[in-house]
Amino acid sequence: MSKTVFEKSQPEQHAYSLPVDAPDFQRYQPVDSLLRQTPLNLPEVSEIDLTRHFCELSRKNMSIDTNFYPLGSCTMKLNPRVNEWCAALPGFTRTHPLAAEEFVQGNLEVIFDLLQILCRIGGMSAGSLLPNAGAQGEYTGVQMIAAYHHQRGDHQRNEFLIPDNAHGTNPATAATAGFKIVPIRTNAQGDMDLNHLRQMASDHTAGLMLTNPNTLGLFSPVIAEITEIVHQAGGLLYYDGANLNAILNIVRPGDMGFDVMHLNLHKTFSTPHGGGGPGSGPVLCNDKLKTFLPVPRVELHKDVYRIIWEDSASIGKIASFHGNFAIYLRAYLYAKLHGDFGLRRIGEQSVLNANYLKTRLSSLFTIPFPQFCMHEFVVQADNYLDKGVRALDIAKRLLDYGIHAPTIYFPLIIKECMLIEPTESESKATLDHFIDVMKKIVEEINVDPDLVKTAPHTLSVTRLDEARAAKNPILSGLTL
Amino acid sequence: MDFISNQEPQNREMLAAIGVSSVEDLFETVSAKLRLPRPIHDDGLSEFEGMKLMEGIAAKNTFPQFDNYLGAGAYEHHVPAIVGMICGKSEFLTSYTPYQPEASQGMLQAIFEFQSVLCALTGLDVSNASLYDGASACAEALLMAVRCQKKRNKALIAQSLHPHYRAVAEQYISSHDIQIESIAFQSDGQLDMQALERQLDENTATILVQYPSFLGGIDDLKRVSDYAKSKGALTIICANPLVYGLYASAQELGADIAVGDCQPFGLPLQFGGPYVGYIACRQDLMRQLPGRIVGETVDTQGRRGFTLTLQAREQHIRREKATSNICTNQALAALASLISILWYGKEGVRRLALTNFQRAAYLRDKLKPLTLVTPFSQTPVFNEFIVKFKRPMAETLKHFHRHGIHPGVDLGCFYPQLADHLLVAVTEVKNQSQLDSYCAAAKELI
Repeated sequence: MSKTVFEKSQPEQHAYSLPVDAPDFQRYQPVDSLLRQTPLNLPEVSEIDLTRHFCELSRKNMSIDTNFYPLGSCTMKLNPRVNEWCAALPGFTRTHPLAAEEFVQGNLEVIFDLLQILCRIGGMSAGSLLPNAGAQGEYTGVQMIAAYHHQRGDHQRNEFLIPDNAHGTNPATAATAGFKIVPIRTNAQGDMDLNHLRQMASDHTAGLMLTNPNTLGLFSPVIAEITEIVHQAGGLLYYDGANLNAILNIVRPGDMGFDVMHLNLHKTFSTPHGGGGPGSGPVLCNDKLKTFLPVPRVELHKDVYRIIWEDSASIGKIASFHGNFAIYLRAYLYAKLHGDFGLRRIGEQSVLNANYLKTRLSSLFTIPFPQFCMHEFVVQADNYLDKGVRALDIAKRLLDYGIHAPTIYFPLIIKECMLIEPTESESKATLDHFIDVMKKIVEEINVDPDLVKTAPHTLSVTRLDEARAAKNPILSGLTL
Repeated sequence: MDFISNQEPQNREMLAAIGVSSVEDLFETVSAKLRLPRPIHDDGLSEFEGMKLMEGIAAKNTFPQFDNYLGAGAYEHHVPAIVGMICGKSEFLTSYTPYQPEASQGMLQAIFEFQSVLCALTGLDVSNASLYDGASACAEALLMAVRCQKKRNKALIAQSLHPHYRAVAEQYISSHDIQIESIAFQSDGQLDMQALERQLDENTATILVQYPSFLGGIDDLKRVSDYAKSKGALTIICANPLVYGLYASAQELGADIAVGDCQPFGLPLQFGGPYVGYIACRQDLMRQLPGRIVGETVDTQGRRGFTLTLQAREQHIRREKATSNICTNQALAALASLISILWYGKEGVRRLALTNFQRAAYLRDKLKPLTLVTPFSQTPVFNEFIVKFKRPMAETLKHFHRHGIHPGVDLGCFYPQLADHLLVAVTEVKNQSQLDSYCAAAKELI
């Protein structure tokens, strides 16, 4: 059984060392009344034990580097190591966020240039890198839309239209920003129900949040109609570009009619997801909204970069300093390595890889939407329910074969859903291996469904009791 | 260059399997009007060229050539070598949020341990898996406190809270029916307790204070929380977590919620991010926490395991009724902080905090004869303090820059009444001769 680091503690062992002390320092003692009274219950562990502890933990974790990871909506592409090298350059890591502009011109150049590249890709005119992740990017964009209506005196616009297949952050974000959520139905073709949209769009509509290609992996052929309906009702269009892989340098949200968008550098631009962040969710917009962008902003005046810390029209600040700067470095280098030429290749290859997988998996699973997909697609694992096998079971069995599970039960509107995204990085041999494993699992379902229903069998733990974790929460391992 | 595996031969086979002749056919749903032309020239770079480019840009930052005394929420500390080694491991670096717990036990246990060390430092019962940064942690804590106190809609924020944190909190609160009032600080930087007692009433949901304050001082926060409690309001303490190695814990000070930024542990300055926000609270407030939380459970064979838990609070389940919209947080940065905290350990964190205090006290003391006496001169501090030189700020800064020193943060940028006051941070990375050089440069300003 795995021990926590607290259980590995041994009296007086330690890993730390401190720079040389001086007798002149020791003369200063803190006031007694301020001192901590209760013991600091941290473990005491030597450096070798600490090293082994985390190496042991790492072996219990799948990752892109070690496993095929077709997790839909997450864009698990290669995280190039040259990005990590770049982010670790002391010229960047040793810069303080409140440094005067003249001492950090390199940093400001990266912020300014990366934003220009992203604006070009998005078909937008301005933006901000500040949001620390996609959800904060959404929040920023929605607040900018709110500020726009507010400035025009359109105070009754208190509703956000959000498709029923949207990522959970969309309704959560609009609610956080104080809006009422109006869900819009998806039709049988997996596209937005235009009649429902027409019914719900009104002079209460602040905007529509939309992902295109949507969470089913489908590009809407009626995108122009959608944006027109919302604009005619006086609302603005928010593009959730968390995952922009499929359309990189092929089609631009600005050209589709969107007013503001965010994208995730930790998906499309290959920055590592780190087991749940840090991410970065830059927000981009057109001229209608740019005065509302958050601060600080970076501007270029006569070859010198300047930081604008305050602007009364802005929605204000959303991050402690300049956002997740070291993530920008990785994304910037990634964009420069590819150029426009390489970015286009990413878009095309991600779509080709996904359609190949979809075609080959169609004999094993229900394919709810037969049209070509973009960078990802949904299949339904509903033909094995009579054997008692669900999408969850297939996902767990994949883990036994060293393949990370696809996203399951999302989007919520598809029964026994598996959302699969291979990304442009993967080779045909890897995709073929995945198909072979899926075939094998289907055979297992027919011969010995219990084997699948009780998977995984080969990992450090078998299925976990998640209900128990929620019912009797143990959230800390303090044992000392 | 790109990182694409498949080339012509594989692509031909795949197109044939799909039954189309070219990739363009797959984009049939994208109207031709919207499609951009394919670029003809390869305008990318080789890896070597990319590295040269970034080295060149990094060299344009002259800041690292100076001795740095800037703090104000971002501190220069030693980052143990083991931090980069572990955080660079593929399994941590390149994994996603642990949605499949059986395949993510490593990261889940690490986050569980992060939560645990935050409980140890703050003295509170539960912590989440991290928030974006100190500023968003303050914003989320205020929203959380108001959710816990449904009938009250006033939030008090100390004027001595980091002005950026305050600005972010105000932005987050702007769409809610919450009234914000500021608690002024006195001329010595300490909270104005009389003002506080006047403003904290039956309609006050919460009070947010900083420890040490943005001005470096240590306030009597026990008195603040006692008073808040007597009026039924929750106390939020935002702290540099290193301070808990030396001074009273959030729990000892009576905090209901503790927030802040773990940057001082394991994260380089890197121009402000990634850092890592934390939030911890009393057990009974647990279900109002925002963001991811990891809990311990067992597998089908009764073995211990870890999983994301209490997810009924979160956006992917609750959608518009979630406690927050946060999804991706700062997991790898939290791992860096965890490793750094464990590297220092029980005794090391205390000694690190103490030497931070002592080095700051040394410089503060040595500067006394060289600077003006101000009401701030006697305020108890941790590793950051205020000085006022005898020359105007611009001249002072220019003078120090000539000596290769960034002497501190110009407080006039944040509070007009503090023009010509400098906020100086001293950590363990400054040795006696560096501190003496600072004083030597200061002497020339008399």
